[in-house]
Amino acid sequence: METVSVTETVLVFVVIPAAIVLVIAGLALLGGGRGGKRYRPGRSFDFAPVWFLSAPEQLAGTPAASLHELPAGAERKELTSTQTVTTKGATGGASDRW
Amino acid sequence: MTVGEEAHGSTAEAARPEVLDGPFTTRQLLRLDEALRVADRTTGLTFSVYVGDLEEPTRAHAEKLHSQLRDPDKSVMVAVSPNQRLLEIVTGADARKRIRDREAKLAALSMVAAFGGGDLAGGLISGLDQLATHAGRA
Repeated sequence: METVSVTETVLVFVVIPAAIVLVIAGLALLGGGRGGKRYRPGRSFDFAPVWFLSAPEQLAGTPAASLHELPAGAERKELTSTQTVTTKGATGGASDRW
Repeated sequence: MTVGEEAHGSTAEAARPEVLDGPFTTRQLLRLDEALRVADRTTGLTFSVYVGDLEEPTRAHAEKLHSQLRDPDKSVMVAVSPNQRLLEIVTGADARKRIRDREAKLAALSMVAAFGGGDLAGGLISGLDQLATHAGRA
């Protein structure tokens, strides 16, 4: 029966598994960059505030023509104004906490 | 379309839109945009979502944001403050007749359940859908 040298044993049982482990760990580290970019309850939320509207021309005090030239990440003060529209009644809605 | 509250240099030249620094991935942003468009189109109301800190008193701040919309009476504002763990839904005078406060509260409850699990985008999308369903067709 053929004998296996110590070097071959080490190569098969130590070096190859170690190489596989390192490759998988490396891939996991590379792919994990996005994981931090999300909200987790109880941790501080330090993202820039965002305001979504399906139609940006719905904001008051902005000439509709200039809105089409605004970039997607336009500053809020470019789109909003201190001027508020008078409303005819009280607002309703709901509040909640989590 | 998004509105970033804080200016970081000149946004016009920035290759990377500021909204990508927000808590949402591109896929979530697309779904949120679609949810807003569908809600607006089916109901005829204007839905708006704000995610960020609200100043105290929070209700008044949310109402101020709501009043900055072009037609506040026909608008629904959903303001979420993850830091304060707070959700405010503001409905205008006309919108309030279509979405009763009780129904808004129901949507708020389900949104808050999703937010508590860390799912901001999912909560917002299902909440918008719920509000639009209660408002009915235009």
